[in-house]
Amino acid sequence: MTGCSTTTYTDPDDYRVSVPGAAIDLVLTGSDAFKARATWVKLRRLGLVLIEETVPHISFLSLGPARVHISFPLRGEPIWNGVHMKRGDFVVHAAGGHMHQFAKDSVRWSMISIRPKDLASYARTLLGSDLALPHGSHLMRPRSKAASDILRLQTKACRLAATKPDMIAHREVVRSIEQELVVALVNLLAGSAAGDRDSSNPRRVAIMARFEQALAAGGHQRLSTLSARIGVPQRTLRSCCRAFLGRSPLEYMQLRRLNHARSAISRADLETTSIAGIARSHGFSEPGRFAGAYRALFGETPSATLMRNSAESA
Amino acid sequence: MPRSRFFTFDDPHQFQSAIRAGDYEILAKSRGGFDVELTRIDLDRLWMQSSRSGSSYIMHAANDPRRVPVLFLADAEQPPVRHNGIELSAQDLVIYRQGATNHVWLEGINSVASMSLTPEDLAEAGTAIVGHELVAPRETRIVRPAPALMARLRTLHKAACRFAKDTPEALTYPATAKALEQELVRAMVACLADPPPKSGLRGGYHFQVIGRFENFLAARQYEPVYLAEICAAIGVSERTLRSCCQEHLGMGPIHYLWLRRMHLARSSLLRADSAVKTVTEIATAHGFWELGRFSVEYRALFGESPSATLKRDREVSSRQKAH
Repeated sequence: MTGCSTTTYTDPDDYRVSVPGAAIDLVLTGSDAFKARATWVKLRRLGLVLIEETVPHISFLSLGPARVHISFPLRGEPIWNGVHMKRGDFVVHAAGGHMHQFAKDSVRWSMISIRPKDLASYARTLLGSDLALPHGSHLMRPRSKAASDILRLQTKACRLAATKPDMIAHREVVRSIEQELVVALVNLLAGSAAGDRDSSNPRRVAIMARFEQALAAGGHQRLSTLSARIGVPQRTLRSCCRAFLGRSPLEYMQLRRLNHARSAISRADLETTSIAGIARSHGFSEPGRFAGAYRALFGETPSATLMRNSAESA
Repeated sequence: MPRSRFFTFDDPHQFQSAIRAGDYEILAKSRGGFDVELTRIDLDRLWMQSSRSGSSYIMHAANDPRRVPVLFLADAEQPPVRHNGIELSAQDLVIYRQGATNHVWLEGINSVASMSLTPEDLAEAGTAIVGHELVAPRETRIVRPAPALMARLRTLHKAACRFAKDTPEALTYPATAKALEQELVRAMVACLADPPPKSGLRGGYHFQVIGRFENFLAARQYEPVYLAEICAAIGVSERTLRSCCQEHLGMGPIHYLWLRRMHLARSSLLRADSAVKTVTEIATAHGFWELGRFSVEYRALFGESPSATLKRDREVSSRQKAH
């Protein structure tokens, strides 16, 4: 079944499931109001996504187990898995892969997905041989025609989905987009197998995925417990966090907790809620310090968030 | 009754339906319009044609199985053309097997001459002129007749075509037509009677691949086809197909399939009723979804906008001048 959709998000919690077959955990790193737009196009075998995120943030992308994903930035220079990305760079993710994005500014990026079986069969058809893809994720900096074809086709197809969705419903349009993209994709990946591949760091990507899992498991952990659970020395975890997130593990954990607290406050009921209670349940034992950190990050006090929320829902 | 016609075309579709003795598909390659002159002469037994063009194009022909045609360059001075992947020079003569299919790929200013007889007439002419029956070869081949014979054939062919263009009424006199036909058949038979072969046409793998490629396309006459689909269907990798297409068509398969879709869209625009169909519908039905880009490329290729083609509404569009 083919189709497409474009949605604008202003709530980070809704945004989590904006991309079919993937989950996005978002942590805002500044006071600007969150706004993002996700466009997806489902072709017969390829899935396309185009994302625009307008505020500084860190996000953690967990990709579904059924498909290979190829992601690439279109505008802005995000840091993906600790690597500075530019337009024209690609990351190939094995099924079930993970990615941290650290964006200091607005970014636009995109992703193509395909089932490994379909990719293998296209590769055999077009190349006459199998495509040897590495395990884990790897970075490519190709400067090939295939690469520029993908950037062009993907951008145009997603723009078409946003502006003329009825055209994407046309069987021949779907076929044409898909066929052109498939050829470019297979050639891109064949080039990568032949040596366009840049250094990748699957071990660090795996460490950071375990770090996120440990954080998601909850509790207010100390760094020593966390690094023991992940199974790496604290020093390694610190250097990974510095590269992937631009900050220390503790700074990131605090940022995460503040974001979660904000999400809880903005959903809370003014009558029955105590901000101190929410702060405590997110690991902030001193309400005064919580309010200070909250205000420094989001540019307003926790109670202002709560009032605004009540005013909006009234 | 002998007759002759002289046409000029600015449209590949009109051109392809005017050529005699086979099914032809013309894909114009050059940008900035199409421009071909065709002279056609049907004598009692001998049919002949000559085309002259300033445009580059690819002609895919399925010859009429009831005739035995030969083909050569109409002008000894012109640049070579590619015929089924082989360069054809002015000394060469192509003799087709009956019902052959072939690709001729012409670049720049070019002119091609052809003539044909039925197999029976060819056999009979052979017996009369060189003392033994001539038959169509089992495989299409290129031969190099003695230069004097080849030059004579070319000169006669050219003179006949000039006749047909400038003084067509002369050919309506049976006696003139008869004399001309006899001379031409004599010259043709002299060239065909046991000349040394230049080379057998490449019977190899590339020839097979291009045959499968064309068969697949022929079975989907009005449908867009894309590279991955055709590679899967004929079991050939992109790289192999690319070198076959370069050799036989002078361009890669992606470009060829794109050109084919452009021509399909054009013929659909020409057939459609502008009151019912829109350019967008026709473009998208042929897989052109970037409409701005389609218009620009269409105009560059055919010299007019898609909406202008649609508005023609089946009016006769070529500058056809029939005599």
